[in-house]
Amino acid sequence: MPSLKDIRIQIQSTKNTQQITRAMKMVSAAKLKRAQDNIVNVRPYAHRILNVIADIAATRRVEHPLLSASQNPQKILLVVLTSDRGLCGGFNNNISRFAEGFYKNNKNQFEKLDFLFVGKKARDYFRARNLGVEPIGVILNLAKDVSYGMAAKVADQLMKYFLEGHYDEIRLVYNEFKSAMSQEVIVEKLLPVDLTKTSTEHKDGELGFAKDMIFEPKPELIIEELLEKHFSGQVYRAMSESVAAEHAARMTAMENATKNAEEMIRSLTLTSNKLRQASITTELIEICSGAEALKG
Amino acid sequence: MFLLTLVTPQKKLVTDLDIEEVFVPAYAGELNILPGHAPLMTTLQPGALRYRAKDSDRLRYVAISWGYCEVHPQGINILAETAEFPEEIDKERVARARKRAEELLVDGNLNLDEIEKFQRKYARTLVRAEVSEQSE
Repeated sequence: MPSLKDIRIQIQSTKNTQQITRAMKMVSAAKLKRAQDNIVNVRPYAHRILNVIADIAATRRVEHPLLSASQNPQKILLVVLTSDRGLCGGFNNNISRFAEGFYKNNKNQFEKLDFLFVGKKARDYFRARNLGVEPIGVILNLAKDVSYGMAAKVADQLMKYFLEGHYDEIRLVYNEFKSAMSQEVIVEKLLPVDLTKTSTEHKDGELGFAKDMIFEPKPELIIEELLEKHFSGQVYRAMSESVAAEHAARMTAMENATKNAEEMIRSLTLTSNKLRQASITTELIEICSGAEALKG
Repeated sequence: MFLLTLVTPQKKLVTDLDIEEVFVPAYAGELNILPGHAPLMTTLQPGALRYRAKDSDRLRYVAISWGYCEVHPQGINILAETAEFPEEIDKERVARARKRAEELLVDGNLNLDEIEKFQRKYARTLVRAEVSEQSE
């Protein structure tokens, strides 16, 4: 049986922990707000570019290496987005487990299956598990500064890998930010660019642009530049989503932790009160029986 | 009604603003676009974009780096990689970046790619410097 003093110490330490989790929740909430704004801003940009590419491709039947899907991709690069820090619930584990599953299921099927990790956690997960996976690169410090410039650099590198033929398909695994309460692991094919679902249909049922559209320079050149930018935009968007999802996950996790601490404090206080009462009762009995004995 | 929308991946600068005219630094030189312009799609060079809102006689300047511009009968959509209003530009930083690019181009030991990179950088700083003069 713990003494009253032990329990009081435990209550105090739980309170301290609760204070920390509450503060962390608050910080994440503020950061989430910013990250959310980021996503809202990047979505129209990314969307618009893809539509334009699809429209040009539909009207002009432009060929481009980034657009041509290989029927049977053999060399796959998986870009896995996690966070650098923990304490955010299932956020990192879901992703890492998914990537591990993908690796185990498919390693024999493809000629080559490589990983690029963004964030410390995926790297640590794979290292700890000794799967024999050597990532071709690790990118850290994402949450601190997810800037377009940095995304563009990563995108450039990926595009180079693709164009030089190291890989014929690049996929992105990340947590999509659904709402503050839920995130979803999704896999997205980054390269080659998939246009099948995006071409806009106009009122008159015609695909693409008006016929008399002036292009400057030639559509083939425009599309080249657009593809490049579209690609950076996609990487940036995925990074923003992942960061927002991380903050959301951490916020929820910390909120739960705060609640649990509350519950723990309540039950500890109950025990301590019971103990206190028990000791008072014992004392009273001792005094009474002492007085009784003196009388006799 | 001729509406201008200007967005970058990081922010929306202008959304659906009714405008009188726009000057864009297009691929083949500066274009002045007025309401009723033919449908057009062009890429943009680093440069100063200017627009005048309806019922205003003031031209607003925006420094943009790469972007593209789409003109349709209802208005203009511009997507730029970066875009800054004059008051957002840090003049000192621009001057520093420019000096550095200048020095490297003059006597740095650069390979061809780097030369190209710094030439672009230099061009951007020129644009920024020009636009930042336009703040009041």
